[in-house]
Amino acid sequence: MNRRDFLKHSSLGAASLGLMGLSLPALARESQGARLTILHTNDMHSRIEPFPDNGGEWANMGGMARRATLIEQVRQQEPNVLLLDSGDVFQGTPYFNFFGGELEFKLMSQMKYDACTLGNHDFDNGLEGLKKQLPNASFPFLIANYDFSQTILAGAFKPYKVFEKAGHRIGVFGIGIEMAGLISDKNYGATKYLDPVATAQAMVQQLRGPEKCDMVICLSHLGYKYESAKIDDRKLAAQVSGIDLILGGHTHTFMKEPEPIERPDKHRTLINQVGWSGINLGRLDYVFEPGTRRPAVASSAVLPVHTA
Amino acid sequence: MHFLRSRLAALSLLTAVALAPACQRAAYVAKPALAPVTAQPVGKALPDNATAAATIAPYRQQVTDQMNQVLGTAPVAIGKNPGESPLANFVADVQRLRASQALGQPVDIGVMTNGGLRAGFAAGPITLGSVFELMPFENELVVLDTPGPVAQELFDYAAKIKMALSNVTYSVGADGKPSNILIGGKPFDPSKTYTVAISDYLATGGDQMTFFKALKPRGTGLLLRNVIADHIRTLTKQGKLVEAKVEGRVKAL
Repeated sequence: MNRRDFLKHSSLGAASLGLMGLSLPALARESQGARLTILHTNDMHSRIEPFPDNGGEWANMGGMARRATLIEQVRQQEPNVLLLDSGDVFQGTPYFNFFGGELEFKLMSQMKYDACTLGNHDFDNGLEGLKKQLPNASFPFLIANYDFSQTILAGAFKPYKVFEKAGHRIGVFGIGIEMAGLISDKNYGATKYLDPVATAQAMVQQLRGPEKCDMVICLSHLGYKYESAKIDDRKLAAQVSGIDLILGGHTHTFMKEPEPIERPDKHRTLINQVGWSGINLGRLDYVFEPGTRRPAVASSAVLPVHTA
Repeated sequence: MHFLRSRLAALSLLTAVALAPACQRAAYVAKPALAPVTAQPVGKALPDNATAAATIAPYRQQVTDQMNQVLGTAPVAIGKNPGESPLANFVADVQRLRASQALGQPVDIGVMTNGGLRAGFAAGPITLGSVFELMPFENELVVLDTPGPVAQELFDYAAKIKMALSNVTYSVGADGKPSNILIGGKPFDPSKTYTVAISDYLATGGDQMTFFKALKPRGTGLLLRNVIADHIRTLTKQGKLVEAKVEGRVKAL
């Protein structure tokens, strides 16, 4: 069964729930008013302009000015948009070599990104290089499992942020990949890497508990899937309960649709990643429904949303 | 982030005593209501956003101007090929020269693989753009203090593919083993330690050079791309052309 069939099939569960007493039209009406539209990118790698028109695999795809248009189109139709990025904004074209990420951050600020996490390449000009560009970003960087307290970036980032959207509290936190062996030592200095699973568990407790969030999103630069024991988005989803959505990066994975990971406790996490270089803009819509003691049934409906 | 660690401890305690998982306390549940296309292509059909395009324009102009800047001239194309290649000779020599200047001491050997070089120089003007095409990676020039036995592994590696090394000549027989190894014209001495100028990528085991992984590189703080561009600028200032050729660093027996 492919993933979309799985999601569609599950929506039958919601239909039977309707027959069991809840009125479906009422459910639909309530859903209508509270739709959240999540737009996301990952691994944009300084691809300011579209890939050159040279017959290559991605010829003519991407481009930040075009992405800005697409985002604007969605904003005109949807009142509740969250625009997020999963890291590796830096590195890949001469724009980064010449300007160190200045233009990337300026354009993301213009597009009104709500938050971004850090990828390994965002350290390519060292902690100084990243610090220098932060004034160009009007959005926060969220990273919960890197401890910068002994570095020049102490206090520059937050582990999470809560957004009020569609009348609900949406908690977003960031998780980064292990730096050792991936980033040269001098580029991350005294930054400490904390265990992603323990950190994510603490984030969920904080966001679902004191922060009273109805939805929890993880911006991850761990990578989608490794055959080895190395932690990835799928393992994170399986080991940490209470994350609704993991927006991933690092592995440049093109996912046609999000993958659901269901835990034994029936909590389901969706994972999505949209390739790299801004070739795609991810779009995931959510509705909010009154809580249930049986999240397995309640969290499975699919309502088709017509795009422009 | 100290707060995080203490909070982590406090929260795990909280979890231990909580009767129901926290996620079930929420008043609402977020349910995916997916659009038919969740990865929306950013393609030609989308016009440029005017604000973004105007922001990009001056940066693009600077990139274009700098990329088209002519650094020097190659009278003959400098290409790459399996075995000893003009391009790898050129880059490995420049690495050795600049590393020696940066550290203020002679450097014995320069190493660059064909795989580390993405494109050669065509005959004619060499622009900064050409150097970016040659070396798109952010590799740093480093120096490895290489004990004789590790250097032997380097020569074994090189001989298998008849790869040339800067300041080294050797012969290779039908068995693919190196012999008559000369470094700066002097016979290789396995009891000596040799300085090797190399990219940080290869120094940390790239291109299967796993034998280097145990050595601690000395950094120069110089990006290889800048090293190459600066060398070509210097040649031009001295009125010299950019030239490199295969000169018999590797002799097949």
